[in-house]
This record gives sequence, C-alpha cells and structure tokens, in this order.
Amino acid sequence: MSNACQLEKIDDFRWRIPRSYKSGMRVPGIIYADEKLLKDIREDKALEQVANVAFLPGIVNASLAMPDIHWGYGFPIGGVAATDPEAGGVISPGGVGFDINCGVRMLRTNLEYEDVKVRLKELVYALFSDIPSGVGSKGDISVSVKEEEEILVKGAQWAVNKGFGTQDDLDCTEENGAMHGADPREVSDRAYQRGKAQSGTLGSGNHFLEVQVIDQLYDSKIYDALNLSLGQVTLMIHSGSRGLGYQICEDYTRSMVNCLNKYNINIPDRQLACAPVNSEEGRKYLSAMKCAANYAWANRQCLMHLTRTVFESIFKTSWQKLGMFLIYDVAHNIAKIEKYNINGQEKKLCVHRKGATRSFGPGQHGIPDKYKNIGQPVIIPGDMGRNSYLLVGTEKAMEETFGSCCHGAGRVKSRTAALRTINQDTLLKELESQGIIVKASGRGTIVEEAPQAYKDVNDVVRVVHNAGIAKRVCRMRPLGVIKG
Amino acid sequence: MPKNYEIIEHTADIGIRVKGGSLKALFQNAGLSLFELSSRKQFTKNKKHINIPIKQKANNTEDLFINWLNELLSLSSARGVIFHNIKIDKLQDNSLEALCTGSSLENYKINIEIKAATYHGLKIEEGKGGWQAEVILDV
Repeated sequence: MSNACQLEKIDDFRWRIPRSYKSGMRVPGIIYADEKLLKDIREDKALEQVANVAFLPGIVNASLAMPDIHWGYGFPIGGVAATDPEAGGVISPGGVGFDINCGVRMLRTNLEYEDVKVRLKELVYALFSDIPSGVGSKGDISVSVKEEEEILVKGAQWAVNKGFGTQDDLDCTEENGAMHGADPREVSDRAYQRGKAQSGTLGSGNHFLEVQVIDQLYDSKIYDALNLSLGQVTLMIHSGSRGLGYQICEDYTRSMVNCLNKYNINIPDRQLACAPVNSEEGRKYLSAMKCAANYAWANRQCLMHLTRTVFESIFKTSWQKLGMFLIYDVAHNIAKIEKYNINGQEKKLCVHRKGATRSFGPGQHGIPDKYKNIGQPVIIPGDMGRNSYLLVGTEKAMEETFGSCCHGAGRVKSRTAALRTINQDTLLKELESQGIIVKASGRGTIVEEAPQAYKDVNDVVRVVHNAGIAKRVCRMRPLGVIKG
Repeated sequence: MPKNYEIIEHTADIGIRVKGGSLKALFQNAGLSLFELSSRKQFTKNKKHINIPIKQKANNTEDLFINWLNELLSLSSARGVIFHNIKIDKLQDNSLEALCTGSSLENYKINIEIKAATYHGLKIEEGKGGWQAEVILDV
C-alpha cells in the first residue's frame, strides 16, 4: 500500500488512514509523523499493518502508530491499539510481540563526563566482561525451579529480596516491577526451560547497555526535579524477557490461531491471532504474559545490579556514593488493562503497546508519587552513534494515544542491507573519533545496529514533543556501548 | 553446496525464501536454513551428536510449517543444540514426524538470534520446479 496510500492530513504531526481504505477496518489508522519521517514510513509495509490492526474486534478510536513506526510482523513496530473487553475486545499476543516486556531503564550518576572520559575503555571492557550478553547467554545468577516461579510472580521484587537492589528501585519501575495476576501455571514447561539460567543476561540484537552523558537540557522545572544537569553521566539498559517471553508468545499465538474460527474473528494477517480478553484463552494469555513481563523486570534489575557492581569496582566506592539511582524503567512491548475516558464514559481497556512506551501525564494513577507533579519519565533510546532522550508523559497522551508515545528511533534499513553497505572497521573508527567505544558479542551486531540503519531519534522525538504526547526533558549522547 | 534459501529484505526482521523439490524437502530445507542463517560452526568443543525426534500436528500445511520451524527454534534454545541434519519421516497436510540431529551450541559462533517464525506474509506454493515458501522470522 504504502506509496499508493492517500493519507489524510489531520495536522502537522498526524495523518489518517480512512476506514474506507480496506473493507473490514473497524476504526481509522492514525500515524504520528511529520513529512520527513513519513517519507521513510511509506517505504515499507508498516502502514498496511496499521490498517490491518484496525480489523481487531472491539478496537477503540483508532489503530495508532508512533513516529518510529516500521514494518514488523502482524502489528507494526511502534503500534498502539486499545480494545474494549466489554464490547468483545480482543487481546493479541502479536500485539505484544515475542520479546514480552522488552523495555529500558535509565540511571543517573553523580559522575561528570571528565570523571568517566579517562577511564572509559576500562569501564566498557569491565561491563562487557561482567554482564553476560549474546545469544543463549547464561547468567551467573543461578535460580532453582521454585525460584523461577517466584521470579514470574514477584518480578523485580525477587531480585531486590536477593540483595540486587532496593525498595527505591521498585518504586521507580513501571508496575513497581511486577504485574499482579501473573500465573506461572499458564507458562509451559518449554518456556521455563528456555528462560532458565537467563536471568541477569542482556540478550542479543538491539539490546544494549550504554554509558551516556547529558548534552542538552530542555525543561528546567523537570530536569531540576530529576536532579539532572549538563555533562552528567547516565546509564541506559535495554533488555527483555529472553527465551521465556518468546516461548509464551509462540505458545499462545498457536492457540489463538485456533480461536479465530471459534470466535468468528476475521483478520487479514494470522500473526494478529487473538481471542476476546474475557475468554478463557484471553485470560490465560494475559496471566502468562504477566509472568514474562515480571521476568523481564527481574532481569533488568539484575543487569542494573551487575552494572552498579562494575562501577563500584572501577571507581572504588559504593554505588550509592556514585549516585547511581534508577530514574525509571519502562516496558515497550506489553498489553495492559487501563482506564480511559471514552466519550464521557470511564472504560477499562486492553492497551497493546508494540514498540511503544507508556506516557502517563501528571497526576495519573500508577506513576510514582515523586513523579506525580511532572508525569512519568519516558525513556527513548536512539542508536549507538547519535542520541537518546528522557521525556515525561503528558495529559494530551491520555486524551489522544491511550497514554502512549514512541519507543526508540525505529529501523529504516534492513539488517541485510546494513551488512551489505556498512564496513565494521570504518564504522568503529568513526564512532571512536566521536569518543564512543563499542563492544559486542555477536558477529555482525555492530554493523546491523549501525546508526545508518536507524531513523534519527532527534526527528522522532521532535514529533512526539511537538504533537504533545510527551515532553522533552534532556538529551544524552553515547560514550560506551555494550551490545549483545 | 548452493544454499536452498535466499534472504528477503525486511526492515526490522529477516525474511527467507526457501525451495525444495518436494514438500518434504521444503520443510527440511526451511528447517536447516534457520541454523545456517543463525550460526556458523567454529569449534569442536563437544563431539556428542544429539538426536531429537519431533512430532507436530496442525490444522493445515501453513500452520504445520510455522509450528515446525518454531519447534526447531524452541528445542534449539531449550536444549542448547544447533541442528545440522534433518530427516523427515512422515509428512501429511496436518502432521509431521522427523528426526533432527545436531550438536552442542558450544561448537558454534552465533550470528543472530531468531526468536520465532511468523505467519506474517507467509506463502507456501507449488510451482514447476517444486515447492517454495516465504516466511518472516523475528530476530
């Protein structure tokens, strides 16, 4: 569709795919983008996928796409869809993805750029050595079967109970690091097997740990409240639920393909397989999905603990003295039951965020007390050569996007095209000349994840800021990058 | 040996186009392509061969194809094995029996992690020279 599609312009940052585009669309598609980003978005099949999501039974208002949208499978990456369970609304494992609760957390430090600059190589090599990464990597944090069940229910709390963090970390994690209603009985033995021994591991592909420095500040009221300043060193950790999440998605996609006939659901792509939220299949998936989400929060908590330990060893002081406090942890592949006002009525909706970040505004239920006045921190990682951002959620996001905004830069070049056109040695030299040191486990990872393979996150964030669905707080640039 | 698959461009993930002289060969080649794509043998740290029988059922050939690929990926991840030989004993529209042989993950350098095979854009067609399938893999 993409090139041929006549999108209707709503305003400078929103475009509509009308319901008339495809017979069967229950709502229109709405894409958040400017003219520049739209050019790339039209290049692949992402817009077709936005239209396909609009077929989901019970979908409310619109099938939404954020400016980092790109071609995924089933849902586009950067897609948001809310369904109303009381109106037959469905839940789709494809609307969450295989890497359930893939997400990102950001830490502040008391360190300045000059403190880190002289020890950057040592720091990056120590992080790479001590944090297990890569495909099938196993962690040093070993768990018994009973403990694995505990992780699925308690999430990051499990890690804190083991001494890998503090209550304050939990307060600064979406859902406090554990969704209620996780039921390990709905998780298959195979999923347990795949998740075993992977706690405290980064994973592969686009997952990373970055040492960053703040290079631009935007809103003094908010960055002061977050105790952030120019030249301050920060950290970002991007990881998910590893093999456990992949298996849960596969198990339930398989079972929901069989639900399509049972519930007379008509969708144009079977990767959107779904079941009513209020069906047995829907409830079971949600319980299992929460287990994977909790596992991912425990994982990121463990990764943060390992990171703090490395910093303690390099800088010979405690992480508390280094000021390594968690700013926030957000999920960007998840489905949640949340309350929204729809046409004057309060409704509990099932919000799918597939490559999209929650962006709750000030005063909302579910955000930490200390952020009640400013809105929840929204963490947007970019690529390894450009920038990442910290934003906060807004009231407008609650009104327009089911409290959601973008999740990253979004790919623009396929992995194979990146491998074909980018030379690893040249890229590493370029990055080094910018003061960026990169270490990666996987062969080809550095090239596949090259800045040229991504949209410019500055363009993406400018759109969500100008559209009002999140507000910029500060921008970081990378110093050291550990890739899976 | 010429590859039985080629890469299809996909922005975020990887697509493959696989060929086979028969439907059995298509399933076999598609299965092996997952591991040719994701890994390269570099060491012989562990010489033990691992044989794993696989049985799958589905409503139709397309579902069977996806279930089969996902079962291979899932077993590979759960058991830490890379498959290098696949023998499909029985294949019908809705069922499959195969014996898969592999060796420990320790012997391989991994290029990319394939999380799963997806239904998105899935095509399985019989043509003049045999069978062809296109499938998008989540990586």
